[in-house]
Amino acid sequence: MANDIPASQDSNDVPMLSCQGIWKVFGTNKSEFERSGGPDMRDQELARRGWTVAVRDASFDVARGEVFVIMGLSGSGKSTVVRCLSRLIEPTNGNILVEGEDLLAANEAQLLDIRRRKMGMVFQHFALLPNRDVLGNVAFPLQVQNIERSKREERAREMISLVGLEGREKFFPDELSGGQQQRVGIARSLASNPAIWFLDEPFSALDPLIRADLQDELLRLQKQLHKTTVFITHDLDEAIKIADRIAIMDQGRIVQIGSPEDLVLNPGSDYVKRFVKNVPRSKVVRVSSILRDATSSDSVGDIVVKANDRLADVAPKIGGSTQSIAIQDDKGVTLGYVDRDKFVRVLAGVV
Amino acid sequence: MNVKKILNSFIAIAMSIGLVAPATSMAAGVPESDKPIKFMTADWTSIGLQAEIMSLILRTSGYNTKLVVADDSGRYPGFEAGDLHVSMETWQTTQLNNLKKSVATGKVLDMGETGLKGVEDWWYPMYMKERCPGLPDWKALKKCGELFATADTAPKGRYVGGPVSWGDHDENLIKALDLPFEVIHPGTDAAMFAELKAAYDRKAPVILWVWEPHWVGSVYDGEFVKFPKFEAGCFDDASWGPNPNMTGDCGKPYGWIKKMAWAGGEKVWPCAYEMIRKYDMSNAQINKMLIEVDLNGRSNEEVATEWLKNNKDIWKPWTTCAG
Amino acid sequence: MSLALRIDNLPHIARSSVKCVVAVVAMALITNLGPGWLSTIPDWLMFPVSDIVGDSLTWFAREATIGGIAVQEITRGFAGLIDKPIEAAVVVLADGLFKGRGLDVTQSVPPLSWLALGGAAIIVAHRFGGSALALTTSICVAFLVSFGLWQNAMITLSNVLVSVILATLLGLVLGIWSFRSTHVENVTRGIMNVMQTVPIFAYLIPTLLLFGYGPSAALVATVAYALPPMVHNTVLALKSVPAETIECGRMTGCTQRQLLWQVQLPTALGKIAVGLNQSIMMTLNMVIIASMIGAGGLGFDVLKALRKLDIGGGLEAGMGIVALAIILDRTSQAIAKRAAHGKHREPGQWPIWKVVGLWLVIATGIAYIFEPAQAWPKDYVISTAVFWNDLVTWINIEWFDVLDAFRTFALLEVMRPFRDALAAAPWSMMIGLLAIGAYALGGARLAIYCVALALAIVMTGYWGPAMNSLYLILISVTLAVIMGFPVGFWLASRPQLQTAANLTLDTLQTLPTLVYLLPAVMLFRIGDVSAVIAVTLYATAPAIRYAMIGMSQVPVARLEAAQISGCTRWQTLRWIRFPAALPTLLVGVNQTIMMAFSMLIIAALVGTKDLGQEILIALNRSLVGQGIVAGLCVACLALIADALLKAGAARAVTHRHKKED
Repeated sequence: MANDIPASQDSNDVPMLSCQGIWKVFGTNKSEFERSGGPDMRDQELARRGWTVAVRDASFDVARGEVFVIMGLSGSGKSTVVRCLSRLIEPTNGNILVEGEDLLAANEAQLLDIRRRKMGMVFQHFALLPNRDVLGNVAFPLQVQNIERSKREERAREMISLVGLEGREKFFPDELSGGQQQRVGIARSLASNPAIWFLDEPFSALDPLIRADLQDELLRLQKQLHKTTVFITHDLDEAIKIADRIAIMDQGRIVQIGSPEDLVLNPGSDYVKRFVKNVPRSKVVRVSSILRDATSSDSVGDIVVKANDRLADVAPKIGGSTQSIAIQDDKGVTLGYVDRDKFVRVLAGVV
Repeated sequence: MNVKKILNSFIAIAMSIGLVAPATSMAAGVPESDKPIKFMTADWTSIGLQAEIMSLILRTSGYNTKLVVADDSGRYPGFEAGDLHVSMETWQTTQLNNLKKSVATGKVLDMGETGLKGVEDWWYPMYMKERCPGLPDWKALKKCGELFATADTAPKGRYVGGPVSWGDHDENLIKALDLPFEVIHPGTDAAMFAELKAAYDRKAPVILWVWEPHWVGSVYDGEFVKFPKFEAGCFDDASWGPNPNMTGDCGKPYGWIKKMAWAGGEKVWPCAYEMIRKYDMSNAQINKMLIEVDLNGRSNEEVATEWLKNNKDIWKPWTTCAG
Repeated sequence: MSLALRIDNLPHIARSSVKCVVAVVAMALITNLGPGWLSTIPDWLMFPVSDIVGDSLTWFAREATIGGIAVQEITRGFAGLIDKPIEAAVVVLADGLFKGRGLDVTQSVPPLSWLALGGAAIIVAHRFGGSALALTTSICVAFLVSFGLWQNAMITLSNVLVSVILATLLGLVLGIWSFRSTHVENVTRGIMNVMQTVPIFAYLIPTLLLFGYGPSAALVATVAYALPPMVHNTVLALKSVPAETIECGRMTGCTQRQLLWQVQLPTALGKIAVGLNQSIMMTLNMVIIASMIGAGGLGFDVLKALRKLDIGGGLEAGMGIVALAIILDRTSQAIAKRAAHGKHREPGQWPIWKVVGLWLVIATGIAYIFEPAQAWPKDYVISTAVFWNDLVTWINIEWFDVLDAFRTFALLEVMRPFRDALAAAPWSMMIGLLAIGAYALGGARLAIYCVALALAIVMTGYWGPAMNSLYLILISVTLAVIMGFPVGFWLASRPQLQTAANLTLDTLQTLPTLVYLLPAVMLFRIGDVSAVIAVTLYATAPAIRYAMIGMSQVPVARLEAAQISGCTRWQTLRWIRFPAALPTLLVGVNQTIMMAFSMLIIAALVGTKDLGQEILIALNRSLVGQGIVAGLCVACLALIADALLKAGAARAVTHRHKKED
């Protein structure tokens, strides 16, 4: 599962992507906004000037290899954030660091270079080029870099087989189903082997069954590729399934950032609480989140569960037992115990 | 063989893409220039036919020629600018003054008569002769206005004139001779003859502008109205003719059909210009060919080629300067 | 006044009619009782516009120099340059190469045979449009070959191809430029609107002046005529590229140029093709006129046949143009569709260029051995001309009295009084009414715009002919709408007939008008009745088309709602279908008017006394200024009509919203 990849940072401790105090305000520009002290303005003041705030003071870091999901309803500003991160939309204020380098300071040529080599993006409506076949679409980012034909096609074929579309190389987008089209979109976004992977509601336009398939596919790919991923969605279930960490946005503001468990167990506001209310906890909460330290009465019995297991996974084992259950890490070291009583209460949402 | 032919096709394509002008070997000195001589052709058959004949003669002598469409009255700026080089027909009937004016600029040459005589005037089918006694004398028309009338012109007669651009000679004539007629202008000659055909098929009254040489004379039985014959004084001297107070009281000038040319061409193709000056035909010769073209549906080119083949003794002497 | 179209609100109509009557009476009183200059145009309002324009253009074309090089040299050089591709195309497609000149001429290399080219057309049609398109193409090719029209069709094709390619390239450049800059877009849109409404003959005159006589002048005029839809559709198409697709291009690191050529243009291709299609159609519309100034080909066949009153022959050559139009239109659409959406090749299927190349080689081989495959033998040429000619003669003899009675009635009882009323109405009254009407429909801005255009006509001194044009247009458009809308409504409920209907409408729009103009003259004589018939026939096509589209695109849910509520057919038509279709119908009326305007010049060929005739005279006499200015007057009339109808359509939409609220 996604959480097997530790959300830790690499040795020199620089996050892959760092975003500090990002504002996007429509109706003004950078210098005017700064001059008039925009970041400190109240809502009414902003509105009085006829400015529309799409993103308000968003800050977060994304660690190397982490899957960072930005979740919000439509109009919450989540798509604007991801476009600011790639400068498809120019932020009005704030800083964006890519591997410690200032993205907003990059000139046109540098920006092109960063996008070509470091970033890949998947779009909600696939954004395939209808006049190119699958091979041509996947090879497109490489063609833009003027990589010679045989090389770029070789790489494209690799990507196509990675997403399981071998044999469809010569098909055109209109000849493919929606799910297949998005597989092409995914292959294309990975063709130039980017370090950062943006996915803007990639599965929203798909049927539920195909959506689930592609979510699994994404997890499989991520396990293999360890991309630093920013994933936008309006679907909390999807976010929980995929995310290492989730940022919840509301009206342009990031209201809470945390792991799926954090959000479910400790919602920071009523807004988040309403969101997570209906999430089945058993599928989110890990056993490790509810363990207590060992007491003298505990002993490692027949039933042992892994720290990373979710409650739902271990429920059948725990359900029939009366004694407390030992929790061990992957190496078999016992980390603590959980009582049946506590287990049931968490499942029921009482705690 | 087969392969060679195919190869040739591809060479042709390659050549035309590369735009290689087809070169031909010539008698010494002629042509003086391979620049195409542009012949004017227009919306009546004989000018195109004669242009085709002259052009064929010149081409046979090695010249490069081109046929270009222009309008009868609108041709002069083109000739003065050197866009058009040769016209085989300029009719005294309608172009007398225009030609005079254009030659006076010094940019256009009068290349002499073609030997053809042009006639154009009011024309009616023969069956109208009984219904309007006194025809072909113009005075008979004074009493026949109502006979030729239609609902929109009544009580005046309906006279189908030429397109407006051909001039207002007929309006003046009606005024000067006090005829009970109204001129209806079509936009094109085809419309004129459409109205003739429709009336002729029904033996209905019709009177319209016709000229000769033209195929209409060979297909439909009819004749021209005899107006007071054109003389020099008619257009400028009011006292001349039946109406002592007005000019224009005469028929259209009958007479020559001349060749004209761009003056600048004399230096470029002197021999060609000599041949054009020598060109000489008759109404009978051209009428025979017009019937082939207009009624038997053959192309100008075909008819002209046939004439050239059968009449070498006529046209060869024109080409002496080409050796 | 077009508000009166709303039939579902009688008291409202009554009110606006009363208002209209009051306005007319008041204007009539003021203009007739006021000072004399209100009823006859005073001298101080007229300017010698034509002379100024004519003189300056003549100066520009003959005397002016740019950087020491005479403009004349530049334009002639350009003309010489664009003659080349036409000549090349004619050599390959129609004439081949010759050795020797005059009587000694022999063909050294034949052109590509009909077998080769026709077969290639069918192969291409089959690959891109399936067997249905291949069949259509085969029928068209067979028609052209067996009726002996092939060679001239290829000359026309050479001209059309070069014009379409030039118009496409130029249109793309202007379109892209307009897409990138709003300023440029505003300027080009203005120019294109005028260009689309100025009759083609009007810019033939300066074209002749600048580019000399011959195919290049025809080509320049044709390109100018076919350009506006290409520009317009390019801008629209580029604007319609999804934002995500452009973002995708930017995210992959495209430069501006890569973005344009590899992302925006290919994605927009399907919609750009709509412009290409219209360009092809307009180019083919021009074939007759182009042949009048020296383009040759099928257009010249039509003219030649009609000049000797061979109506059947003219019809056949005209149908040749239609056949060519159908092949070009349907194939280019199929190719564009494929280019826009793509379809993979089956394993073992050859790329199209290989198939066509191989076929050309084989067919050329066959044509070498078997002469009839090169040039269809004359003895086997079919012609139906005699039948058509006899038919016209028969109608003429048997039905003339009835037709003439009809003509007399229409002319004397309807058209003449209307014409005289328009001619007699004081100019100030017409402009006053225009101002009031425009204000009611679209407010002060529209009123000022319309009055400015109308005053421009007054100033040129063409007010009289303009009123005559207006009278022809109003009568023709009324007839076209009365005949076209019911047919369109009827067709809308019969989808199975729509393919046939579209083919018929395309035929009506590409068949040269002269072909039915001459029979009209034979039966209805020279004059306004024939002109109105020709204009009406041509303008009926868009009326039918838009009525069909408007009525078929009523949302199904609304129709079902009507059914559930127990509406009768008539009630459904009146309350559901008609209001929903109204905006489209108004666009249809607009298109009908534009078509009618573009036909004025052809109507002038049978002898009218309007602006079209002025242009024709100017063309024949090489009066540069008069031609252009009369043409611009037509444009002014058309732009006024266009603005009023668009305002009307906008009102029809907002009105409905208000009511629904």
